Amino acid sequence: MSHVNATTFTIVIVLFVIVTGVGFAAARWRRAENMMHLDEWGLGGRGFGTFVTWFLLGGDLYTAYTFIAVPALVFGSGSIGFFAVSYTIMVFPIVFIFLPRLWSVCRVHGYVTPADFIRGRYGSRGLALASAFTGILALMPYIALQLVGIQAVLTVMGVGASSTNTFVKDLPLFIAFLVLAIFTYVSGLRAPALIAFIKDTLIYLFVIVAVFYIPTRLGGWGHIFGTAQAHYASISPVTGKPVGTFIPTSKSIGSTQLDFASLALGSAIALFMYPHAITGTLAAKRRGAVKRNMIYLPMYSVLLALIALFGYMAVADPVTAANVKKTGNAQLAVPYLFQHMFPSWFTGIAFAGIIIGALVPAAIMSIAAANLFTRNVFTEFFKQDASPALQTRMSQWASLVVKLGALLFAVELPHTFSINLQLLGGVWILQLAPMMIGGLFTRWFHRWALLTGWLAGMAYGTIAAYNVKNATTSHWAASSDIVFGHTIYIGLTAVIINLVIAVLFTLVLKAAKVPEGTDETLPHQYTADPEDAPARAPAGVGAQQ
Amino acid sequence: MTQATTRSRSAVAAHPLISAAIAILVAADIFFSVYTPIYARLTPKLGDFPFFYWYLLIFMPITSLVLWLAMQLQKRLAADVSTADASGSGDAR
Repeated sequence: MSHVNATTFTIVIVLFVIVTGVGFAAARWRRAENMMHLDEWGLGGRGFGTFVTWFLLGGDLYTAYTFIAVPALVFGSGSIGFFAVSYTIMVFPIVFIFLPRLWSVCRVHGYVTPADFIRGRYGSRGLALASAFTGILALMPYIALQLVGIQAVLTVMGVGASSTNTFVKDLPLFIAFLVLAIFTYVSGLRAPALIAFIKDTLIYLFVIVAVFYIPTRLGGWGHIFGTAQAHYASISPVTGKPVGTFIPTSKSIGSTQLDFASLALGSAIALFMYPHAITGTLAAKRRGAVKRNMIYLPMYSVLLALIALFGYMAVADPVTAANVKKTGNAQLAVPYLFQHMFPSWFTGIAFAGIIIGALVPAAIMSIAAANLFTRNVFTEFFKQDASPALQTRMSQWASLVVKLGALLFAVELPHTFSINLQLLGGVWILQLAPMMIGGLFTRWFHRWALLTGWLAGMAYGTIAAYNVKNATTSHWAASSDIVFGHTIYIGLTAVIINLVIAVLFTLVLKAAKVPEGTDETLPHQYTADPEDAPARAPAGVGAQQ
Repeated sequence: MTQATTRSRSAVAAHPLISAAIAILVAADIFFSVYTPIYARLTPKLGDFPFFYWYLLIFMPITSLVLWLAMQLQKRLAADVSTADASGSGDAR
């Protein structure tokens, strides 16, 4: 395991150097007159059309963790892992309903973060702070998991894995991280937007090749599905139950249809409340570009479905299955599969694709978290008169701090901890639904009722997730638990509790005539499609030069 | 502003059929992916793919198509009412 394949290694390094160059060159791409504005550094000038937005959002939403964790879940548990496939289908009709409204109101008012919208809609700094806090909290472990994804690839490559010294062991990770941090600092959102083109090309390439080539080596799809079906039906010696499911069951407990559907629905509603997804959306130039991406992005979901099937290929390939069993880490299933199936040069391309696939979302996430901190904590509570230039500088530094925090997460804490936090992140971010999605359609909810509901949802979700146990772990065993005798996604239960409380408290607070705060948005602004970039940005469209 | 609201409301009122069609398209697209019992089964197979797996794969281009249709219908709604709809820009700041 510790020997390094020179061809694979060289190709990864070469592609990494190219990406680094592109990351720095991106600062000059669509350059505006005044770059020291958050609309520029944090949102790439708010001028991306349908085409660039497709690459940016695709590169943003489908993270390295997706490429590693979804097949890992499929490898370990079978069909339940395909909830991620179902979720990337239903997310687009769901988002089609509310995302264009969010884009319009943010464009009209020059909002940079989702918490800016909450602030403007409800006139409440407290509620905006709660949403910013949730966003940052959910993003930290998510960025850490991008680094964990890079580590999984490096481990299989045999780079640094044999040393016991943490620093030497993670040196390649530190280097990748440092490069990422610097080009994000310099180029802002332009860097991941441009690198996303390389990422998507590499990933399309290796996924399509893998999907046509690997089955020929494994005796065809019939054999892959057959082996998987038999494998998941076999009884595990540890738990005394089947290893997994090949199709979600119609029972009430376990990997059931309800569990599958609630995981998919909860994740779909949550996806576009993640600050990095909103950052990618707000960078679009026109309302139509956002809508058209809901039409084109499902093409990216096809990739995810095929990647999920890699989990079954890993089951059907005895060498890969044995390698994974030896390390006891299902996250390594896809890297091992590629290493065993592909010639070493193509393994290099695939591994580089996964590593670059981690850098793009990590950059966007750190920008999104930095913007939240700058706009909704620093400017709001410490320096109300911060100039655009100061805000931009603040965000640049905050992006470094956020990434450093994520690096500590990835290196110092056990990986299972990061993964649990990431699961929890999904539960947490879902608790923004009543104030965010609700707020896009109605001002009926009272701000303090929303805050109370949010608090209840966060508390319930965290405690419920902590208490989930199975045969091998006593806490955080899964993101579903049993309610009224049925297995269901914790996030969905929590957001229902959240919503009920928000409704009840709204009725009470309205009856008590508690001040509701001022709403600076107007109904028609939710459907507006301004021709030009926001007026206060001196040069929003780089094409003018 | 109230004028803008009534205008978009009247768009729905003026074209109840188109508006209903958009709502049904989007709702059906969500329903057929959320309601798992429809597709949590092995047969009929398509080639070597069990039903559960090919259903999910086929659903992706269908989603694209459905949302494209919805967007075309929305354009038709907007075209009828928005002759003077430049009011959405500029005035806000």
